[in-house]
Amino acid sequence: MLQLVVAGLTVGSGYALVALGIHIILRSTRVINFAQGEFVILGGLLAFSAVTYLHANVWIGLLVATAGGFLIGLAYERFVLRVAAAGGELTVTIVTIGTVYVLLYGHALVWGSLPQPLPYFSGGPSDVAWHALGFEISAQQLWVLALLAVALAALAAFFEGTEYGRAIRAASNSPVGAQLVGIDVDRARSISVAIAIALAAFGGTIVGPITLVGGAAGIAISIKGFVGAIVGGLDSAVGCTVGGLLVGVVEKLLEGRFGYGVADPVIYGLLIVTLLVRPQGIFGSRRAIRD
Amino acid sequence: MSDRIATDARLLPIVAIIIVAFGFLARGNPNLIQAATFAAIDAVAAIGLSVLLGNVAQISLGQAGFFAIGAYTLGYLSTAVSWPAAIPVWAQFVLATLAGTALAAAFGIVLGFIALRFRGHYLAMATLAFGLLVVGVVRIAPSLGGAGGLTNIPYPAFGSLSISGFAAYWYAWGMVAVVAVLTFNLLRGRMGRAFEAIRNDDLAAETIGVPTRRTKIVAFAYAGALAGFAGTFYAAFLGLIDPSEVGVDFSIVLLLMVVVGGAGGVTGAILGATIIGITNVYGHDLENWRPVLYGLLVIVIRFPGGLIGLFARRRAPRAAHESEPGVTRSAPLVPTPAHASNDRAWLRVEGVRKRFGGIVAVDDVSFSLASGSLTSLIGPNGAGKTTLFNAICGVTRPTAGRITIGTRDVTGWQPHRIAALGVGRSFQNARLFGDMTVLENVLAGGYRRESATLVSDLLALSLSRRSERAAVARAEEALRALDLERIASVRARDLAFGDRRRVELARALAAEPGLLLLDEPAAGLNASERERLRRDLLRLRARGMTLLLVEHDMRLVMSISDRVMVLEFGKLIADGPAGVVRDDPRVIAAYLGTA
Repeated sequence: MLQLVVAGLTVGSGYALVALGIHIILRSTRVINFAQGEFVILGGLLAFSAVTYLHANVWIGLLVATAGGFLIGLAYERFVLRVAAAGGELTVTIVTIGTVYVLLYGHALVWGSLPQPLPYFSGGPSDVAWHALGFEISAQQLWVLALLAVALAALAAFFEGTEYGRAIRAASNSPVGAQLVGIDVDRARSISVAIAIALAAFGGTIVGPITLVGGAAGIAISIKGFVGAIVGGLDSAVGCTVGGLLVGVVEKLLEGRFGYGVADPVIYGLLIVTLLVRPQGIFGSRRAIRD
Repeated sequence: MSDRIATDARLLPIVAIIIVAFGFLARGNPNLIQAATFAAIDAVAAIGLSVLLGNVAQISLGQAGFFAIGAYTLGYLSTAVSWPAAIPVWAQFVLATLAGTALAAAFGIVLGFIALRFRGHYLAMATLAFGLLVVGVVRIAPSLGGAGGLTNIPYPAFGSLSISGFAAYWYAWGMVAVVAVLTFNLLRGRMGRAFEAIRNDDLAAETIGVPTRRTKIVAFAYAGALAGFAGTFYAAFLGLIDPSEVGVDFSIVLLLMVVVGGAGGVTGAILGATIIGITNVYGHDLENWRPVLYGLLVIVIRFPGGLIGLFARRRAPRAAHESEPGVTRSAPLVPTPAHASNDRAWLRVEGVRKRFGGIVAVDDVSFSLASGSLTSLIGPNGAGKTTLFNAICGVTRPTAGRITIGTRDVTGWQPHRIAALGVGRSFQNARLFGDMTVLENVLAGGYRRESATLVSDLLALSLSRRSERAAVARAEEALRALDLERIASVRARDLAFGDRRRVELARALAAEPGLLLLDEPAAGLNASERERLRRDLLRLRARGMTLLLVEHDMRLVMSISDRVMVLEFGKLIADGPAGVVRDDPRVIAAYLGTA
């Protein structure tokens, strides 16, 4: 049981990062990025390439993936989201779905359609970092949780602690007001989207050694990240993190108890039920759902 | 809207000829025939999505789920159920097809109810979750074959004719033909206008009497039914159905077909399905490039135009010219007062109060309007006038108090039901349906008075034809009465402001309301337009209509009102004949700020 919870928190870390990314992009551009999960896959694959072809250390791979994600995010905002925004919400939604398709099959073109392995951050797969109270936690699981904490701390420090981060938040909250006080709103949007995509790529790399990277898992990751965001509260960063972790735990518990195949319908059902019963999520505010 | 209908009307016969010709020319090539059969099946499901996305502006990423419901229903009924011997094989197929279509429609209603709660991205996600849920359930349901799906589904056969190969081509395209005709009928009539009104302006549609919630559910059910119908034949034609065929991927491909071909109407969806079908045959060497290309197309092609947009005739830009304020004709503005006046109060507002958070916008307001009277409601900005309007026509629900129309307590009713009792309204900023022509706007305004039903529209029964003729006649009369017939075919969003106002008035009149609420009808009008408005209002009252005006133009108010009510900070501070109210010191204070 506790074993499953730990496993759930590990995959849930990936969902939490996706949920946070969806949250950041929604805040700054009013768009829900359906392609977020595909960027997770892309990040993992970038790290895989760095490790395999450049014979880099996996830490360098993590850096390559995150920085690559940031740059790709800049381009994605500038050449896809911003262009589509002129056509209205429905157009943007459709365009992000088109992006899912491009990336899903684009990955397969470059890296093949089979998932690839990523080296463990330290030691081997069976290395147990900690063993107590009847459950064990592997070194990689520990790394995932630790790196999630690092990412969250870095995000909080940036958005709360720096002038620039606060400016970006101001631009998200009130674009017109921010413009009036001299903040470059377009630039703030670019940076926000880039950070969100970098987060996704980061998440794909840290969870990669456990889940493998590549393949067609992106859509499922997007949806589960979104379920996490909805359950936790789309307009709350804390809610998105908690929601993502929660989805991971629910998934692993159901899988462990009832076998594969049961978890997914339950999680998708959870999305519909949450949307109907408490659309603002656990931590969200009621105001957020009407726009 | 008429654009897409006109495109459909022009192109559908050509499409039919191409399909028949293709069938004969390609009959020696089983691969081509098979690909074209699949394209037809996809087209049926895509048409449903096209209506939903292009005509009602509701996105669905769950279309594959409905396809799965149709396919699995037919598969289950023709493999796992032992039919009585008395029912021949062909009848089993027909019954299973009907069952699959009906079940998909029923789920469409369910999804429609869910969809009412969401817009935009949320709707996309909710429908996506629905699609995933359906696939997830069929994947783990043992009686549906689990991951392996259902196999050995027999070919449908009518007597000795087995529906496979060449026959399947004709059957599948026959399905498209039926669906195309039904959809075309649906879109050009009463329901099509309701769809279009909702797409343009949900709230305005509701206040002219369109039951927007029910209409959206109908659209979801229709889209679901078509996908289910397509699914039934897919399973029968392939002889098997498994979860991998009906995943999210397929929902996205259907969306792609619609976006590429052009959303809204029939032809775009058929075009999109055919193009994707062809590249599926000839694009095999492209492997993964193909889907990448599809994705790029979705990103690049401008929604909702699509390829079919290239065939649309540009409407002559007859915009922006004002209809000159010339002679007002003596034609009756209201053909027959639907709610003949009696002595009773038309509208009674009792102790109505509306609170937003800590602010009380309307505070314990009571009044009643006598039939056939013209009353003005004035007051400083923010006094709560529009809120009071919204409460009367059901757009906001009062926190306390009671609103009665005739003898009926309508507090808390939905706006379209209040509109059905004969309450019309105009908005401060003239909320017309921008993509529709002036005539279509006014036709939509007459929604309540049309007798056509969903079924009569679908089947183009004579009831619908008669209803349509009468509706057009009424709309043209309303346009004539306001001297708007010369701009009848101009798109509403191209109109000059003064004309927008009058078109909105015509739209409200098309419903032949007994009570008309006008929110600042003179705002933004020039002197001659104001004079004309004044005459129009007096004429309406002379015809027995009850009028309630919110207006800032005091000259207009004082010259035409039987009675003036003054609202300040949500409270009625004065109520009486124009002359008396004008001299009331409290009113002067409210306006001029003197004590």
